Amino acid sequence: MSEKRVKLEVLNPRGTIEAKPVSAPNPRITDLAGKRVGLYWNSKPGMDNFYKVFEELLRKRYPTATTTLLRGAFLIRDDDVEAWLKEIDTFVYGVGD
Amino acid sequence: MSEKVKLEVLNPRGVVEAKQANAPAPRLTDLAGKRVGLYHNGKPGLDNFFTVFEELLKNKYPTVKTNLIRGSFEITDKDAEAWAPQIDTFVYGVGD
Amino acid sequence: MAGTVKLETMGKPGVFINCTTFDDDAKSASADNGMPTLRRVKISSQDFYKLRGKVETIRPLVEAVFDDIIDALTKPLTPEESNASGGKYEEESTAGVTVTAESYPAAAEEFNSVFLNNRWGDGLPLIPPTEERVKWMLSGTKRKPDEVLGRINPKQGVATIEKIAINAVMAGAKPEYLPVIIAAMEALADEDFDDLHVLASAGSFNLLTVISGPIAREIGMESGIGFMGHGWRANNTIGRAIRLSTLNIGHTWPGKNDMALTGRVSPHTFFTFCEAEDFSAWEPYHASRGFKADDSCVTVGSIHGESQLNHFYGGMIGTWTAEGILDRMVEDLVRTDRRGYFMWGTKGIGKYLGSGGGAMNHMIILFPELVEELKKIGFDQKGLQDEIYKRTSIPYDDLNPAERKSLQTAIELGVIPTDRKAVFEAALKPGGKVPVLISPDNLHFFVAGGAPGCAFSFNYYRIPPYNRTALMTKRITGATLTKAGAV
Repeated sequence: MSEKRVKLEVLNPRGTIEAKPVSAPNPRITDLAGKRVGLYWNSKPGMDNFYKVFEELLRKRYPTATTTLLRGAFLIRDDDVEAWLKEIDTFVYGVGD
Repeated sequence: MSEKVKLEVLNPRGVVEAKQANAPAPRLTDLAGKRVGLYHNGKPGLDNFFTVFEELLKNKYPTVKTNLIRGSFEITDKDAEAWAPQIDTFVYGVGD
Repeated sequence: MAGTVKLETMGKPGVFINCTTFDDDAKSASADNGMPTLRRVKISSQDFYKLRGKVETIRPLVEAVFDDIIDALTKPLTPEESNASGGKYEEESTAGVTVTAESYPAAAEEFNSVFLNNRWGDGLPLIPPTEERVKWMLSGTKRKPDEVLGRINPKQGVATIEKIAINAVMAGAKPEYLPVIIAAMEALADEDFDDLHVLASAGSFNLLTVISGPIAREIGMESGIGFMGHGWRANNTIGRAIRLSTLNIGHTWPGKNDMALTGRVSPHTFFTFCEAEDFSAWEPYHASRGFKADDSCVTVGSIHGESQLNHFYGGMIGTWTAEGILDRMVEDLVRTDRRGYFMWGTKGIGKYLGSGGGAMNHMIILFPELVEELKKIGFDQKGLQDEIYKRTSIPYDDLNPAERKSLQTAIELGVIPTDRKAVFEAALKPGGKVPVLISPDNLHFFVAGGAPGCAFSFNYYRIPPYNRTALMTKRITGATLTKAGAV
């Protein structure tokens, strides 16, 4: 005796995500001695204190490294990017909440 | 011939136990000389409503007496027992 | 995350710091922005939020992750990290789903299990979006199923008419509601609308959706007692369809990339209602914004989260007068918006000048009796906007030096738009009166409620963090089952 089965075929409710090209991060700077380290603060409270300690520790390990703190929008503005890129060799971006 | 689908479902509603029904009390045929209770359940504005009501009532029935009490949203048993002997009829307001 | 990827693509190596609670979100966002192997260092959420207040307290946390940050900046990329380049990133299958069971109820239960386990639902049971039911839903619009409205954040999923119809079926909506749902999604998918902040922020922001015009009556929307609550199929399923559409088309999930910390109040339907036009003494909201009075429109606006609404009372709570309620509104606006003055003098938290907590938009819901009284004392929408704008202005002499400086800076930076500059320049002098709003147009009035009713408001940033606006009105078009919204 055949078993009657109910088949329910439903459509997919998910939005199509157009596949984006992906890129790799940039090659790293192997030594921070003498380098300019950018510290981007997206204005979330507390990151300023985090960076104060980070800078101290960085200078202890790399006495010739310099830092540039930039406080900006949650998402760094285009005009800030253009200006800042000229002043740094590498960067830390925080905090992603 | 199209096949119809039959869907038999159960009733989700809570059963309400049937209560005994009572009729309202017989009416007074005339308010002259009677004691009219005015129950104020605390909602703002009813005091003003009753002020005007009393004026109009006394205009129409000069010998009527009014007895205003102010109580909780739902009159307590204690208030009802104390008040009932003091009135012949009542107005209860407002159900918001 | 997008900022970090931007800097990397411009040639600088860097590292992104995120808290552990946001780690899934960060991983997802790095992929969404085309750099899945971006380097990240996570710091303990429990420690960061508690210790960040002072340098001395946060020191141990920074010391604990310092080496990780230096390694992220200096250790060469692994082959795996480097090989990301040139590839394509895809995440999910777009195929339909088939379930079989011994009976329809069992199949429906199995369908719900699959969808809810996939995180394709909102936690409540769903109606299966079979091809037949979706076709039925699409009978409510003459717009083509493959028409693209735009993209929905955070994953920029493509919003088509068909996808919206699928989600509308799941929500339990009827075809005559579809044009309304489409118009709401058009606003959210608009390239100027900041849907990212409301759908993904930790602030548990919410969505206000107000339908105005004759379509509301035609499809049976409720605007009287309980208008923001449950029980109304049109109100509730329109809201639910918007919720499911954003969830599925944008690919969000609580704790993964929808970081609303407490979740939202009224999460399954947002706040979705219509204006009580039959009882309103004013023209409909959309007519006050340049649309024709007999148009049908949807207005979608982001609103603040946990502190949901500002209550001006009225109705059964106490005896009221229009003037009394107006006084309360003015007092509330001054109190809340003056607090934002300090942010006016900054570029803001987003891409566009003045974004974030500086100046606000206010969405004010007034009950019909109140509007009748306001009209009797001479106010239409425009008149009330101007009156509140005037009454909420603060004497220059009462401002403290920091406030004055911030407002002056706001003019210099261009945060105060050019067309309002003269107003503020004239106000920022002894004897002047300084507005707490950029413009009277930042006050938006909607008429809804029964008798008795309540007056209350929501607010949100005039300019949101990630785009130009978070408040938009769209005209409803393409309706086939109602007279309204057909053209």
